[in-house]
Amino acid sequence: MSPDALELELERLHAAAFGWALACCAGDRAAAEDALQASYLKILDQSARFDGRASFRTWLFGVVRRTAAEQWRRAALRRLLPLAVLEAAPDGRPDPAVALARAEATRRLEAALASLSRRQREVLHLVFYQDLSIAEAAAVAGISVGTARTHYERGKAALRRLLEEEGNERT
Amino acid sequence: MSERDDHDLRDRFQQLRREDMAGVTPFHAALAAAAARRPASPRPPALRLAAAAAVIAALAVAVVVATRGRHGMAIDLARAPWEVPSDFLLQVPGAELLRTVPELGRVTLPFHYVDTDWRTP
Repeated sequence: MSPDALELELERLHAAAFGWALACCAGDRAAAEDALQASYLKILDQSARFDGRASFRTWLFGVVRRTAAEQWRRAALRRLLPLAVLEAAPDGRPDPAVALARAEATRRLEAALASLSRRQREVLHLVFYQDLSIAEAAAVAGISVGTARTHYERGKAALRRLLEEEGNERT
Repeated sequence: MSERDDHDLRDRFQQLRREDMAGVTPFHAALAAAAARRPASPRPPALRLAAAAAVIAALAVAVVVATRGRHGMAIDLARAPWEVPSDFLLQVPGAELLRTVPELGRVTLPFHYVDTDWRTP
């Protein structure tokens, strides 16, 4: 794929990739932008290369997911080091100002998603937010289709239960 | 789970998506920020290889220096007790013949029926 074609594809998927980065970074917008920029850098420098085995979107989401995980590990390591107290590392929580501006239903959904396992959250995001099939979600998450289907079904059931419980508490 | 429930979940996620997209950084700004993160003078592959080789060489030297002063415990092979598992095969009647020097006129066999003062008549 030529650099121009690559840039066009990235531009087309930019918003979706940001949404996915946001999901990978537990709603932390700064960390998501950081992960997305680092992913673009990997792609532009060809340390991550598209080989055509999957769709471009599936491949890009995989790169973003791995990059976000690398950054999370680095941030966790920094927090362990004694000098970590000197720098204000993001704690992975959404920006309070952004959280305030969120619609009530969205905040409830985010709170419920936070209670799910990481895999369930990823698969549900990829299917419902990104409109990917379960097979595509499995490819992005690096798991088998059967495992993705299990996470999808259990995640859906758990998410619905959590949303209903919270709805009952509010009434 | 019914289709209606799935639609309900999908609607919730799409609402989340719309809110997420409200403040997304434009693509070209994100790309420029990514390019700005690139190191000023990226190292060429040859330089990287040379650096890796230097690190490996330094490690090898460190290992050699660290192990130079160490000597294992000396073993005196002549005194070391060691028994061959098949030694019992050599314990046969008359084995003394193999260990002693024979002398004329004297038989060192331990057998009782051997007369050591035997003379030819």
